[in-house]
Amino acid sequence: MAETASTTYHDPLEPRPLVAPHHDDATLNETLLDHVWRKPGKGWFMLFGLSLSALGLLVIGVTYTLARGIGVWGNNQPVGWAFDIINFVWWVGIGHAGTLISAILLLFQQKWRTSINRFAEAMTLFAVMCAGLFPLLHTGRPWFAFWLFPYPSTLGAWPQFRSPLVWDVFAISTYLTVSALFWFVGLIPDLAALRDSSKTKLQRTIYGLFALGWRGSGRHWHNYKIAYLLLAGLSTPLVVSVHTIVSFDFAVSLLPGWHATIFPPYFVAGAVFSGFAMVITLIIPARKYLGLRDVITDRHLENMNKVILATGLLVSYGYLMEHFVAWYSQNQYELWTFYVNRATGPYAGVYWLMIACNVITPNIFWFKKCRTNIAIMWVASIAVNIGMWCERFIIIVTSLSQDFLPSSWGIYTPTWVDWSIYIGTLGLFGTLFLLFLKFVPAVAISEVKELQLELKHAAHQHGSDDALAGAGTLTHGAH
Amino acid sequence: MEATVLDSWVLAEFSTPDALVTATRQMREKGFEGMDTYSPYPLHGGSEALGLPPSRVPFIALCGGLTGVATALAMQTWMNTIDYPLNIGGRPLLSLPAWVPITFELGVLFAAFGIFFGLLGLSRLPQPYHPVFESEEFRTASTHGYWLSVPQATGTDAAPVMDQLKALGATQVTLVTGEKE
Repeated sequence: MAETASTTYHDPLEPRPLVAPHHDDATLNETLLDHVWRKPGKGWFMLFGLSLSALGLLVIGVTYTLARGIGVWGNNQPVGWAFDIINFVWWVGIGHAGTLISAILLLFQQKWRTSINRFAEAMTLFAVMCAGLFPLLHTGRPWFAFWLFPYPSTLGAWPQFRSPLVWDVFAISTYLTVSALFWFVGLIPDLAALRDSSKTKLQRTIYGLFALGWRGSGRHWHNYKIAYLLLAGLSTPLVVSVHTIVSFDFAVSLLPGWHATIFPPYFVAGAVFSGFAMVITLIIPARKYLGLRDVITDRHLENMNKVILATGLLVSYGYLMEHFVAWYSQNQYELWTFYVNRATGPYAGVYWLMIACNVITPNIFWFKKCRTNIAIMWVASIAVNIGMWCERFIIIVTSLSQDFLPSSWGIYTPTWVDWSIYIGTLGLFGTLFLLFLKFVPAVAISEVKELQLELKHAAHQHGSDDALAGAGTLTHGAH
Repeated sequence: MEATVLDSWVLAEFSTPDALVTATRQMREKGFEGMDTYSPYPLHGGSEALGLPPSRVPFIALCGGLTGVATALAMQTWMNTIDYPLNIGGRPLLSLPAWVPITFELGVLFAAFGIFFGLLGLSRLPQPYHPVFESEEFRTASTHGYWLSVPQATGTDAAPVMDQLKALGATQVTLVTGEKE
């Protein structure tokens, strides 16, 4: 890819370049803005059409649900939570990688985040939007959803703040707001770059409007640097808190399979696991289409695969501990849930698919060949996404369908409305994502330029331009 | 009608970020004040060269965060302990551990608002017009140009300042005049 034959490595731990060495500010600008200015190709229109059709399914599903009530969904007693909550948790989890990449990697001064953070943050934003739809519809009467918020109503009642479901409302709305602010703050300098390289008056006006009059002033950068760092610092505990609170929805109940203290860390690891997988799934076609291989290099992909491996092992540990604690408790309901119902019950197929996708698949990334092979990692990333969806299905549906009294057991089957809303949110996500790829730089240009300068400085210190490839371990921060 | 107040700036472009930082420092040592640098990304040593005091954003963020925490604690205590007490499984009406999640979330939310609006407020953004935009060449400041602006009293001779900037290595120097911000 970006590697050239003349590249010599100074640090064997950082073997691949983060930015192809032949760029300067002007060419970076051209390369990274190119996909905004040029007309979208056939591929974009095809995918956009596909996404819009799926979005149509969402409209149909939601309209039908609103007209007839949530009885048109498959969930009923005893399985009162199903696709709505599965998809909610799945989407929120996917969103988490975006924040992790932007915030935690920034705090750890991991320079490889620079090329992928914008992309991942956009993914977060759209995934959380999709996630938010489900609890909203799940309330049954979404037009009364404002009842969830504490406001002085004529009912004279206040929310019950000891309930994890109310915590969820605050966690998700805070997460969405902070992610949007973080994304927009990062975007301001690039919107100014778009304004200043636009060709028509209309483009200049629109991008100028969103750029807020940013002029790259040193006095502004002075505040901007610290503001961005602080937002990252806040997002880091926030992302951990959000999935922790989501896991409380389950862990605080008394149901076998839900009532487990390992849930918060295990959910957070699962979220990061699926989120990184989603980044890989999206970034491989996108970087090809956008011509971004010079800044999203094989090294980025390999690093992400390492994160997938690490978090996959954490998730496997979570499964192991759930089973261990069930055995250790010798509680008949726990034993039944983990050793009989999940592994051999009516949903055993989903369970074993989950094991195959989440426990076995990530282990291929022990091998460098798999970590660097585009086709293999793309298929593996999709497998992980399927696996993580299955995990939420298993947690929610098996535990509810067979709990304590066999007389109250029941089987859950999704209806076409469930499926169309789920596929519809995939369409919503795809539509928003494609619009993002068309109208906004998919890579944080100002940050890449800054990184490029740092790498050049480091190269000069090493006395050779070739050090550009190995300068990723530089000690001073990107911000 | 109020007369338009005009504001003038000498703009100088430099070829590299390092040249800009060095020139800024030297101009400041010569006694120029109110200067500003413009670059597509933050300059290393840029704030020091301009002699800027520490940013006030962290303080605003702290105030925001504390406001959020206080709001959340007060809200939950008022609503669930005083105004509408509900006995849920015999749990205490003032159950602080159960209020930790929302307290944390609101603290983060308000701190983030503090950072965002603090940043905009301190930078006086949104500000769609500024005299520096009068120069068409200045548009490179957001892509690949490194600019320095030196305030100049409108109507006075800018030549000495322009000569000094050229001597410091500026590749092009212009004078812009526009409405005062």
